[in-house]
This record gives sequence, structure tokens and C-alpha cells, in this order.
Amino acid sequence: MTKNKLQRAVAIVLVAAALVLAVLGAVNLPKRTTQTGQEIIDALRIRTLLNATGDGVVESYVKIAQDEARAKAREDAKATGANVMATIRDYVAKAEEETRAKYASSQTDYDALDTTALKAAISTYAAQLADYQAVAQQAEQAYIDAHIAEAEAAAAAARQAKIDAGQEVGEEKPVTVDMSGFVATEEMKAAQLKADEGFAAVGEALCGIYPVLDAAAVNTLKGTITDVVYQRGDEFTVQYDRYMAAGSEKALENGTAAFLIRYADDLLYGALALLVAAATVLYYELLCKKLGIPRIIIGLFFILLCFMTLWFDLGLSTLLSNSLVRMGMNSIMVLAMVPGIQCGISLNLGLPIGLVAGLIGGLVTIQLGVPGWPGFLLAIVVGCVIAAVAGWLYAQLLNRLKGDEMSVTTYVGFSIVSLMCIAWLVLPFTSLKLRWPMGTGLRNTIGLDNTNFKHILDDFLAFKVGSFTVPTGLLLFMLLMCFLVWLFTRSKTGVAMSAVGNNPRFAEATGINVDKMRVIGTVLSTVLGAIGILVYSQSYGFMQLYTAPRQMGFIAASAILIGGASTSRCKISHVLIGTFLFQGVLTLGMPVANELVPGSTISETLRILISNGIILYALTKSGGEARA
Amino acid sequence: MSAEYVLQMNHISKRYGENTVLNDVTLQVRPGEIHALLGENGAGKSTLMNVLFGMPVIHATGGFDGEVLLDGEKTSITSPHDAMLKGIGMVHQEFMLLPGFTVTENIKLNREVTNRNFVSRLMGKNLETLDMKAMSSAARKALDSVGMSIDEYTRVEGMPVGYMQFVEIAREIDKTGIKLLVFDEPTAVLTESEATQLVSVMKEIAKSGIAIIFITHRLDEVMAAADAITILRDGRLVTCRAKQDTSIVELAELMIGRKGEAMVSTEPREVPQGNVALKVCDLWVNMPGEEVKGVSFDVHEGEILGIGGLAGQGKLGIPNGVMSLYDAMGDVEIFGEKLKLGNASNALNAGIAMVSEDRKGVGLLLDQSIEDNIVFTAMQIHGEYLRKIGPFTQKNDKEIRDVANKMIADLDIRCFGPTQHAGTLSGGNQQKVCIARALAMKPRFLFVSEPTRGIDIGAKKLVLETLVRLNREQGMTIVMVSSELQELRSISDRIMIVSEGQLVDILPPGASDADFGLAMSGIKPGEHKKGGDAP
Repeated sequence: MTKNKLQRAVAIVLVAAALVLAVLGAVNLPKRTTQTGQEIIDALRIRTLLNATGDGVVESYVKIAQDEARAKAREDAKATGANVMATIRDYVAKAEEETRAKYASSQTDYDALDTTALKAAISTYAAQLADYQAVAQQAEQAYIDAHIAEAEAAAAAARQAKIDAGQEVGEEKPVTVDMSGFVATEEMKAAQLKADEGFAAVGEALCGIYPVLDAAAVNTLKGTITDVVYQRGDEFTVQYDRYMAAGSEKALENGTAAFLIRYADDLLYGALALLVAAATVLYYELLCKKLGIPRIIIGLFFILLCFMTLWFDLGLSTLLSNSLVRMGMNSIMVLAMVPGIQCGISLNLGLPIGLVAGLIGGLVTIQLGVPGWPGFLLAIVVGCVIAAVAGWLYAQLLNRLKGDEMSVTTYVGFSIVSLMCIAWLVLPFTSLKLRWPMGTGLRNTIGLDNTNFKHILDDFLAFKVGSFTVPTGLLLFMLLMCFLVWLFTRSKTGVAMSAVGNNPRFAEATGINVDKMRVIGTVLSTVLGAIGILVYSQSYGFMQLYTAPRQMGFIAASAILIGGASTSRCKISHVLIGTFLFQGVLTLGMPVANELVPGSTISETLRILISNGIILYALTKSGGEARA
Repeated sequence: MSAEYVLQMNHISKRYGENTVLNDVTLQVRPGEIHALLGENGAGKSTLMNVLFGMPVIHATGGFDGEVLLDGEKTSITSPHDAMLKGIGMVHQEFMLLPGFTVTENIKLNREVTNRNFVSRLMGKNLETLDMKAMSSAARKALDSVGMSIDEYTRVEGMPVGYMQFVEIAREIDKTGIKLLVFDEPTAVLTESEATQLVSVMKEIAKSGIAIIFITHRLDEVMAAADAITILRDGRLVTCRAKQDTSIVELAELMIGRKGEAMVSTEPREVPQGNVALKVCDLWVNMPGEEVKGVSFDVHEGEILGIGGLAGQGKLGIPNGVMSLYDAMGDVEIFGEKLKLGNASNALNAGIAMVSEDRKGVGLLLDQSIEDNIVFTAMQIHGEYLRKIGPFTQKNDKEIRDVANKMIADLDIRCFGPTQHAGTLSGGNQQKVCIARALAMKPRFLFVSEPTRGIDIGAKKLVLETLVRLNREQGMTIVMVSSELQELRSISDRIMIVSEGQLVDILPPGASDADFGLAMSGIKPGEHKKGGDAP
């Protein structure tokens, strides 16, 4: 009862805080485009400009003083007969020091300056620059559109030439159009002229403020001034950040108000986050019951990451789109855990058996040069046949070692990867796409391209909504496989198989051949592993041989466990939820981690931590009520 | 030994939660006396001994009421070790010997004779040298006193079972100051000649002044060995008799007794004498703890046959063997056709269904829904409740739901609905789901094994009534195995008593308590009367 009250109190506090943030955010957000926002930007811009040019002005004074000192030193040296060079050095240094000391203070006292003329000039100039940039961007895009096909053809030809010569072909980079042939259009020139007029006005105003500046000096400062005044893609937040980074915060009469306007959107996100937190606190028991603690933790972590990408302005929709792709590419491998768990071999950590079978299927396709869909289907068929045979042998082993599946599958997984490391060196594939150009053996990473099955599912019926790309084909394939497995679990054999996994003695008492069901489950799991790695490869764009498949079994196992499965029970929904959460956390985690700790490998650490931690957690559970 | 009794346990009561397992029990043992403790399973013998030895399970559940007197002095025994120090020894039913050690080492374990040496002077008593000579001579003496000629240096590993029993006894005797020895079913694993030897050894030990508490269910051994007999039933003291004042028949009767009223009353009827439904010939079943050693019997169509007997005597092995849940050997015919043992599907296909005594282990898929549990066997064996699409099959959700709802209504399964997981139901409702699963098979022959174990009284009544209804209305032939004799008597047409893996006798439900008691301890009542052992 008291706990309930405490929960309610915490939730109320959170909701109240959320309301405050929401009101602040909602009030301040529209101010960006109104007069208030414009005034903030103007004030900051003038200050930044004066700062930037002010440095230039001091330099001018210094230069003048130095020149005078140098002349005076020559004369004095002549008169006294002292060492000319030494005297010049002394005089120049002294003059610079004095000048800097003299102007340093006066240049920071910006309020004393009369900037009315400058303000007007800059506003005009900014508008003119914006016009120019818009025109230029349009023109450049038109040029790129006209020349992109040409550039792509050239890149493909160069690539083919490399392959023919037996050289290593790296990752396919996005084709860029060479802009060296671009000539400014008439419109651009006109806009440019107008902007130049604006700049002249600004220069004049500046000269009015700093008498020392002349037209030549202003011209040398043109780049600096232009960059301060306007940059392509400028909007409130970008400009605010740029001017703040330049140290212009003193220009603001009310820093807090400006701050609130700048971070109004983040305040709104914060309000939303607090609401989520309040809901979690309020419905904690219900969530725990429905989802289980690990899923709550991972789910909340995922939501937190979503908010952090918003706070850091990292482009949430692009990242979510990437998560969706990664969910699709990993989902079939996670689905491969389902028959394993249901037939009672627990987590199939020997999944690499299926993975290498699938990889061999892919290699065969590339070797034979079968392109597109037929190639992909051929790879799947070959992979499945090999996986079925290997899976049957693997199942025989598991049936002889009942009760120790967890360790057996783990060691089988490791062993098969090591065994295949030798096999990759000696398998008789001859295609230059597969072999090292020199020496023996297959490449470590085999790049897929348009001549085989790269992105064959990802690009099928794919469409874009803003920056959110939907990989329709990939998702359809994922759902199709899930549906097929779901149908299987509802067939007579599937029902018998899940009874074997659930309670082998019960199954035996019904005359079900326990060993046979375990074989079926293991073979199915291995075959799904083969399909899974092909789906993964086509999306990733590479086939990775050697030690790459070693960890994938663990990743798949932890994904399904996050989804809510135990080592003896699972559903298709666990596959979908688990894969999305696991891959989502990784995809969002990487940029956020880089933002927090630049240049770190925290994301990789996170992956290992989550995947192994969740497996351990599941094992502690399986020892308890699940098996009792 | 000034006191009259070496051990007095006065007015002992023990409750586990709501459950009273011992109620005002008194046990008094004289020095040098062999005192038999008799009772069915669950009569409270083990709990009484747990109290005597101060087992942690007693203290952990709130202790007990009453007092324990040793040599007339009130004592409190706090742990098994404490009991040992106070001169109480136990010969365990399962041997507690280290197989890789010699007889001597086992006898002297943790009571070794040691000599001080250089290291032990520095490092303490744990590093003293063993005096093997003294140890083996002590072991020899103990072995001689139990009449064993075996060499004291032999390893325990690979010894005949009977020898191990004697080594255990020797170990207890070797303890100095031992006053009281408890023998827990010592003859269960012994051959007849070994058992006879054991009885004479016990008498020898008793003669030396050590009192013996002898726990057994073999009435003839009791009569042969014991001086006094205490009988427990349902946690209560029935009586304490001197041997000369009683007879084997009386003991049997006292042990069984009448336990309340019949739970289900059935119309008395003629035992059906139709065709033979199940013919079992020389059945051997290797079910651990419930071995069946050559049982033959017939079950007639339309009858309810009860199988009774004490725990561990093999009654459970019979249905499990016929259903091939454990390795079984023998000739079984069902409705005139030969049944091949070895795979459960043969029996199921022949129309036999079984409700297992191991509900959670064999009877249910705890993680799956009630409806999936109910239709599982019918689906796998008869291919029912499936929709066929070419070579593929899919569960027929509607049919499954219909049959599940019908079963839930018929058997009064208390649940939230047919999709509730079986593991979350109460024991009684789980049992009803097991019965529903058997009924979904539409069997002609039903094995019901311990149907009322661990379920409340209301559920018990309903389960038994359901069985009677199935038998009377659908003519289903039923074999019910149960430890509760009262239950068997209330619904069976005939009751078969099994002891030590063998059929003792088939009795009518109206037979006397004494007859059942004798049969349960392995004595065929008719033969006993002919043998003229009665006073």
C-alpha cells in the first residue's frame, strides 16, 4: 500500500516536471521564427562579426606600428652604430607589445561602438547571400543530375577493370560527380553581383566603426565575414550554436531566455521522456509481469537512446530506418533459435554450422556467376541442402549428449568455425572475386555487388518516407519466414516437437520418438541459419568468412532472449521484438556513444556486454522454475 | 542402566503447517529389547525417527511437542551428531558407505584411532597418523559380533548388498557407548537367508544390552524378532503390545484399521465376468523404486480392478510397464490381441489410456495451455483435431476449443479458460486435465495411477465419482492403482495386493482389514490360516 503510494507520488512529481518542461518548450519553440528569435540571432551575429573583424583590425594596427618601428630602428641604428638586425628585432617586438596592450581592451568594449549602420548592412547582406546560395544549390543539383549516369558508368567500368586484373575490389563507395566542369550560371552571377554590393555596404559600415580599416583590409576579411553572416543550410539552432562556439554569448541581454528558445525542442523531448518514466513507475508491476525485467531494462534503454539521439540532433529517423534494416537482416538467424528451443536442444549456439552452409551456398552462386534472384535462390537451395546434412549429423551428436546441450552447442559452434578456417583456404573456388589475388585461399571479406545478390531483398519494392527508408522486400521476406515457422509449430509434427522440448517424458508417454523430433528441430534450426546468413550478407553487402560467424550464434541467442523467450519456451513474437530491441540498441548506441565518449569503441563493448549478459541471465532462470 | 526404559518418547506431536503428522505418540523402549515400529506409509514412523535424531527438518519447521527421555533423564537432541554422541545409532535403509574405502575405513570413518606425530604436534589434531592396526582390530571385533567373516581390508565396492548392510550395523555397534540402534527397513534389500541372519544378529546385539528399534512392514519378521511392538496409524498411536500378547492377524488388522467412511458409495454389484480385456502374463518392469518381478493377472471387460500395496512394492510399475513408460518384459494381451511392449504408442493405439501418478513429470505439459494438453495425445495418436491441407497439417482451433470447453464443464475443471497454462492450476485441477486428456482419446481401457495423490478432498471425491460414472455409463474397463486402501475399497470390484514386486492375492473389497494387512506385508491371508501360525 505504501509502495503503491510512493509510486504514485513519484509519478505525480515526474508528470509535473514534464508539464513544466512541455510548457516552457511549447512557449519558446515558436519564438525562433518570430522577432525575438531574429533579434537574438542579429545580436549574436554582430558580436561575432565584430569579434572576428576586430582581431583583424588589431592586426592592422600592429602591422602599422611594426612598420613604423622598423623604420625608426633603422634610423636609430644608423645614428648610434648599433647592430641593425638586433635593434629592429627589439623595436618591432616592443611596438607589437605596446599596440596589442593598447587595443586589446578597447576592442572588447563593443557596447561603446555604434553599430546601427552595420546592423542594417548585414541584414541586407545575409538575405542576398541566402538568395545566392539557393540559386547556386539549384544549379549544382541540376549539373549533378545531368552527369550522374556518366559517372556511375565510369565507376563500374573501373571496378570491372580491377576485377579483370585480379586486384582487390574494396567496398563500393557512393558515386560522386566530378564538379570541376561546373560553370556558374547567369543567375548565379547576377546574385553574386548583388551580394557583392551588399558586402561593399558592410565593408563601408565596418570602416566607419574601425577607422584603421581600408578597403583592401576589408577585402582580406571577406571570407571570414561571409562565413559569419550566412552559411548554406543556416537556421536558428545552427547559427546559434555557431555564434556561441565563437564566444559571443555576452552579446545577449537575456542569456537564459535565448537558451530556452534554442533548446525548446529538447525541452519538449524531455517532457515526453519524463512522461514515459512516469508511466513506467506507475505501471511497473504490470510491465514486470507482462514483459519481464530484462525486456523492461532493454526497452527503457532503447527509449533512452531514442531521446538521446534527439537531444544530440543525430537524426533519429535515419537511425531508426537503419535499425529496421538490421532487424530484417538478423531476424532469420534469430528465428533459427525457435525450432532449437522448441525441440529441447535449448539455445542452438551451434548455429555457425548453418551459417557456413549458407556461406558456401553464396560462394557457389558467385563462382557460377548466377546473377540476381536466380542467384539468391540458388544460394539458398545449396545452403539449405548442406545445412540439412550437417544439421542431421549435428543432431545425432546432440542426441547422444542429452542434458549438456548448452556446452555441446557452444563447442560445436566454435569448432566448426575453426574447421572452416582451414576449409576456406583449400576449397576449390576459382573466381577472382572470391580468391586472394595472390597466394591461396578465399578472401576474408567478399564484396557483393550488383552482378550477384547485393541488396536483392533490401531494394525490392523499397520506398522512402522523408529520411526513413523502408526495406520492403527484406521485411516481407522476414515476415514470410516467420509465418512459415509459425505454421510449422501448429502442425502435428510441430506440436509433437514442442512437447518434446517442454517435457520429454510426457512426449515419450505419448509414443513420440523424442530423438526424431530433436533431429527435426535441429535440422530446421540449421537450415534457417543458412538462409539467415544469406539474408544478412545480401543486406550487409559482404560475405564474411573465417572467424566472422563465431559470435553470430550468441547474438541471435541473446536477441531472442531479450524478446522474452526462455531456454525452453519461445514464440515468434519473441523473435521480432527481441531482434528489433537488440539491433535498435546497437544501431542507436553507436552514434550516441561516440557523442558521449568520442572515438571510443563503447558500442562494441556494449554489444558484447548485452549479448553475453542476457544469455547468462537466461541461464540463471532456466535453472529455476522453467526446468522444475 | 538404572531406568526402566532406555528411551521414552512421551506424547510427541508434530505439525507441518496445518498438517498434523504426529498426534500424541508415545514410544517406550527397554534396554536390550527389540522393539518393532509398525505402520503403513505415512503413518508417521519416519517423522518419529526424525524427532528422535533431531533432524534439521524438524527444527526448521517449528520443532515438536512432547518430551524425549534417555535413561529416564529428559534430554533435548539438537542434531544427528548430538544423537550419536548420546548413544543413538541408525542403520540406514540406503547404505551410507564410501564405496572406494575398505571395510575398516568405513567402520572407523570420522572416529579413527590416531597417534600423535611430529607434524600434528605443530599443526593440530587433524594431521595425526592413523593407527591402522588398532583400527582394524576394532573393526574385526565389530564384524565378528555381527557374524561376518569378511576380511576387514576388503573394499566396500563390489560387495554383495547384504554384506554392506552388515558393515553398516558393524559400524554402529563399534561406536562406544551405543545404547539404542534404529534399523530402518533393514530387510528390504536382503535375501531370505540374509534376513534370517540379520534377525539373529539383532538378537545377539540386544542380548548385549543395546536396545533396538526395528522399523519394517514384514509382519512375520516382527513376530520372529521383536519383543514389543508399537503400531502407528495416521500419525496416532494405535497400541503397544508385547509379542506374546498378540498375533500376526491382529497386527495386520491394527495396522490397516478403518479410516473414516467410504468417500464414494457405489451400488454393490456382481463382479463382471465378461471377456478378458487385459491379460498380463509374467510381467517384469524395471521401474526404479517400483520394480515388478513377474506378475500375472486378468482384467475383465467392464470391471474396476484396484491395485494396492505399500509404497516401493511395485504396484506403480504395473501400469507404467504395460504402457511401456519403463523397460518391461512379459506377455500382455489387450482385447485378445498381443501388445508389443517397448513403445507407448502401441498401447495407446490399442485403446489403452493412462493417467500417470507423476502429474508434473509425465502427465502434463506445464508450460502449455489446458486445451493443448487435453487434445495432445488424441492428436498425436489418432490424428484428430487436425485440419489437413495436402500433406500438411494444422491444428483445428475450433474443434480443440469445443472439446476443451466440454471437458472443463464435464469434469468441473476450475480455470480462467481453456488457454490458461496447465502449470498454474491447482493439483486437483491438474489431475482433472490429465483425466480429460485420457478421455479425449476415447479409450476402451483406462489405467489410473494414484489419481488422488496430493489433491484436496473435494477433488478426490469428484475424481472417484468420474471414474465410477465412466465405468457404469460407458462400460469402460478401469484399473486403478492407489496407496489409499479406502479409496480402492470404495470403488473397485476386486483389489489386487502387490508386495515386493509380486502379486500376493486378489481380494474382494469387503475383505477384512486383517486380510489386507497381511497381504500388504507379503503374506497371502488364505495360506497364513492354513499354515496355522495364528494362536
